[in-house]
Formats: sequence, C-alpha cells, structure tokens
Amino acid sequence: MRARILASHQIGRILERLRRDYEVFAPFQGRGRDTFFDRVTAENQDQVQLHLPNPYYPPKRYVLPHLERLMTMRREGAEWRIEPAPDVQPRAIFGIRSCDVAGIRHLDRFYLGRQFLDPYYARRRRGLFLVNVVCTDLERDINEECFCVCADTGPAAAEGFDLQLMDLGGELLVAAGSAAGEAFLADPMFQRGTPEHLERRREILERTRRSFRATTGWFSATVRYITRGDVLDATWTEVGHRCLECGGCTYVCPACTCFTVSDRPTASGEIERVRLWDACALNGFTRMAGGFNPRRAVHDRRNRRFFRKLAHYFIQRELSMACVGCGRCDAVCHGEVGMPSVIEMIRRATSKAISAPAAPAAAAAAQPEPGRKT
Amino acid sequence: MPREGAAAEAGPDPAADPRTNIYLPRLAVVDRVVDEIADVRTLFWHFEDPEAQRAFRQFRPGQFAQVTVFGTGEFPASLPASPTEAETFFTVRQVGSCTAALHRLRAGDRFGVRGPYGNGFRMDDFAGQNLVFVAGGIGLIPLRSCILYALAHRSQYGRILVFYGAKTPRELMYRENLRSWEEAAGIECHLTVDQPGEGWTGHVGVVGGLFKKPGVQVPIENTTAFVCGPPVMFRFVIRDLTGMGLSPQRIYSTLERYMKCGVGKCGHCCIGVAYVCLDGPVFTCEQIQKLGEDI
Repeated sequence: MRARILASHQIGRILERLRRDYEVFAPFQGRGRDTFFDRVTAENQDQVQLHLPNPYYPPKRYVLPHLERLMTMRREGAEWRIEPAPDVQPRAIFGIRSCDVAGIRHLDRFYLGRQFLDPYYARRRRGLFLVNVVCTDLERDINEECFCVCADTGPAAAEGFDLQLMDLGGELLVAAGSAAGEAFLADPMFQRGTPEHLERRREILERTRRSFRATTGWFSATVRYITRGDVLDATWTEVGHRCLECGGCTYVCPACTCFTVSDRPTASGEIERVRLWDACALNGFTRMAGGFNPRRAVHDRRNRRFFRKLAHYFIQRELSMACVGCGRCDAVCHGEVGMPSVIEMIRRATSKAISAPAAPAAAAAAQPEPGRKT
Repeated sequence: MPREGAAAEAGPDPAADPRTNIYLPRLAVVDRVVDEIADVRTLFWHFEDPEAQRAFRQFRPGQFAQVTVFGTGEFPASLPASPTEAETFFTVRQVGSCTAALHRLRAGDRFGVRGPYGNGFRMDDFAGQNLVFVAGGIGLIPLRSCILYALAHRSQYGRILVFYGAKTPRELMYRENLRSWEEAAGIECHLTVDQPGEGWTGHVGVVGGLFKKPGVQVPIENTTAFVCGPPVMFRFVIRDLTGMGLSPQRIYSTLERYMKCGVGKCGHCCIGVAYVCLDGPVFTCEQIQKLGEDI
C-alpha cells in the first residue's frame, strides 16, 4: 500500500480534484449532534470537516438508494415498452468511515455474489470512489455506541477504500487501496512520507483502539450461540417486547440489504417500477396476498434480524457479518434493542443458562425450552 | 470487486442490457384463458421474442416465474405446465390486487414474465422410485408439472400414485387431467372431497383417508412423496406418511412466500438459512422442519 503526506488544511485540493470526475458527497455538520451526507459544491466545499460524528443516515444510499427507479413501462397501442432507468453518474464519497466502508464491502458480496448479479448495484458500485477517513478524534469521531473494534472493521479499514486519510495532527497520511487510488496519489500535491509518519500512525491507532468501550467484545460468543440455536426463547421474547417495530434499525444500517418493489404511475402517464428499502421489523414484511403471514409475532421477526446478521452460515456465504459495528441501530432504537444491546442480552442470558446445569436444582426450575432453531 | 481505475468505469451498463438485467421482465402475450374453478384461472401464453421463449422452455418442474401485470405489480407464480408439454401457462387464484389484474387479461393482452427461478424438482434423482403425489385444493398447481413430467418419462419410474382432495367436487382442478389419470394405465389416481354433492359417487373425507381406502396400497419402500396443499392438510398428511414409515427426507413439498425479486436479493422469502427463491421453493419435509417456520 502506497502512502503520501498532505497538509491537513489542504483537503480542499482533494475535493477539488474529485469534483472534476465525480459527483462528490461528504458529511456536513448540522446543529448539535446532527450530521448528514450532502453533495459537495464550490459553495460548501470549505465546510467539509475531517472530524465529526458519523451521520445516522448512512452513505449506503449512494450505492443502494433509499428509493430507486428500476424501469418504466409505457403502453404503445397494443404493445408495451419496458425501459430500464439510466444512471451512469460516477460518484465519490469523501469522509466515509471505516465501518461504512465495511458495509459497502458487505453489500458488494451480497449484491454481486452468489447466483445473480444485481445490475443496478453493480453500475453504481463500479463508478464509486471511496475516500475513507480514519476515526482518530476521540471527542468528535467516536460515539458512545461505536463498536467497530469488536466487529473488526475499524477504526482503520484494512481494505475496500480507494483512498484512506488519517489525521496525524496538522498532516494527513494518505494511503491508496486500489488502482484508482494509486493513480490519484500520483498527483504532485502529495509528498513522500517518512518512517516517523508511520510511527505516529501506529501510536494514534493504538490510542484510539484503547478508547472504545470494552463491553461489546462478545461477537464471537454470540455468533456461536445464535448459530447453534442456544439463545433462549425468553431472550427473543424480551427483545420482541422491547422492539417498537419502527424499522429504524434497518434504515440506518449500512449492511442491511432488503428491499421492496412497487409499481406506480408517473405524471407523464407511464408506470415506473421503483425499489425501496424494506425492514424485517415491519409486520407486512412476510405477509402474503390473502393475508397469511408465516412470521407474525414481533419476536419472531427480531430473532430473524439477528439470525440473518450473525449466523455462521451467512457469514461464510458473504465472508463477513452483516454488522459492521457502527452502532447506529443502538443510537436510534427507543427500545434499546440495537445490535450491541442485544449481543449483551444474549451473552448474559445464554452463558448463564449454559453454565446452569452445574446447579441441578436451580437449573431444573429455571430450565427454559430448548433453544429455538430459527 | 475488482476495479482498475477510471478506465474500467466506462463499459456497458449492466442494467441497460436485457441479458444482464435480471429484474427486467420480457413481454408475453396471452393466447387463451380458461376458467378452472371459482376464482382460479389458467392463462396460456408465449413470449413475443422467440429467443426468450426458447430459453424459458428449459424450465424444470417445480420452478416458478415472476409475473408483471402492467400498472399493478409483480408476483411469483408456479409453472404448472410440464416442459414436456407444448404450451406454457400459469394457473392463478385471485387473492390480491396483482392476481385480480391477471384475471382481467384476455387473449392478445400483453404482460411481463421473467424466470424461470428456483431449484425445482430434480426429476432424475427419483429415477427407479415409486412416486406418490398428495395434493389438496390448489396444491395441485405446482405438482401438476411433476406428474406430467413423470408420465412423459414413464419407464424411468416405479408406481405413480396421485391422491387429490378438494372441498367440493366443483373445486377439483385440472379435471381433464384427473379424468385421464383415473382411466390411464400406469398411474393410480384417487380423488376425494370433503363435502359431496352434485352426483359425487367417489370417496368423501380428507386426503389422508385415501391411504386407507380399500384396494389402495401406498408404497413406502423405494418411494418419494410430493405433498402440497393447505397448512392443515400438509401437517396431517406428513403425520400419516411418516407414520407409515416414510422418512421426512423422502417427502418433498414446495413453499410459498412473499417475494419481490425471485433472485435472492430482496430478502422477503428468507427463512432460517434458506432463500425460498434460490434454495427452494422445493424442499424436503426434513428441511422444512429445520427451517422452523409455518408452512
């Protein structure tokens, strides 16, 4: 991996250069905690910051828009004409965090993998340039709910970006992670680094890693419990009771993939087919025409979400968990059943239940039904 | 994803090309419409593009297709025709807005189809076996393809038995097929209804009751069963068959789920570790029990 140095106040030059070839998006600071991704223009470019809380609404939408037109259908006499919607705009995301880079890596394996390739995802992904910023500012970058260290996706992404920027204090270490990134680094604005820069990088990463809450480092145990079906029904029921069925966790998740499809008339008399994000928390997610719904109880649906994200079978298939440790679900959840909270609930309840047989009398009284096989 | 920089970003748009855009329906034309039973209608159709027609006709029994009715939406439908038959058709019960719109189509109308999707029945795997088909109501739709395929390759299989039940005699589907199966050699067809009437002289009762009808001998050794029907019927038939000694690994069914894409992306039909659209819709009874959801 090639790396170069740029003075921190010169990030405008990177943006300037990106805007020549791409529609560029970056996180902006709103009021208070509010941050949001927006298009970078000549007017707002100087407001782009390296350090700010990661927006809740993830940059996933630049590869998988919240609502995307797939095609239009138009009647021509007795005939119908079906035309796929065009979109060949190359885009760049400046300031994407390592967790979100991992999210896009996961989407890549899901949408471009297995038997079928999603053509809409593929063309957006093909034109996408990612400038990853490593979270190093303990005050502004890292939130209460962050747990990328446990999900092994950060604070510095190891792959999946085109360029990676790391603030060394006054200077940026700029690394290339792809051929396109290498080409970008050839620009004369970048200077050669020294071994001292790499030493500072190591120190800063070490300090950042240590600053994370340690209590959510139980992914591997939870993956094992969920995969084996060891999680108690009582735990899922509790998660279901706490879930308000708002779907918020899925809308802020950088690794959620589910969508629904809808046909609707347009103003010009055509019919457009759009796809939009869907959420397994919602009651209608599995309801069939005629009303039969195989997954009615809310804890059935919650259980489903965590199983899909953490079961070993799916991790093997996509080579990564469908959780990147961004913590957004925990931040937006009113019932405190975001990923880190549920991992903690599962770990506590399951490890207690598994060690319980040591005390036979108590275990017999508290013995739950065998783990639910989802 | 391999990316070679800006140069690689140019190139054909995979969404613009019908060969790579998996979501793009192909235009189909309705040839004729036949009413089966109340609320259930069969539409015979072909693709406008002969190339698409030829490619589609490679389908296997048990697969399904995504059907677009313009202005209403898209839904999954089984392929009740056997690839050994000349014509392709859908048999669809009117249950929601899309199926109602499909019912309104007439000969000559256009609609959209993409597929075939799903695993289907691997009919070669059953060579040399006795085949027992058990269907209730419109559960005969997905099994019809399989039965006709087996009959078209009659010498490859052992005994072929069909047990089919409906609520009333009026609700027995594919009556021409039923008649010919009842009369033909090489297939043992047994029918039943819950409520007789209209001069019905046949068996009355649940489908499972046919297994104990005098003169009926259900093979268990070297046998594969195919069961499709409403949930209650399914549960009881599975109980009967396994009670007679048939292993859940030798009993097949097809699952129905809400689906949007048919190609393993939209996530609606994912149960347990399986995507019904990719890993199914055909599963063994053993697999269905492991998936852990209501059928």
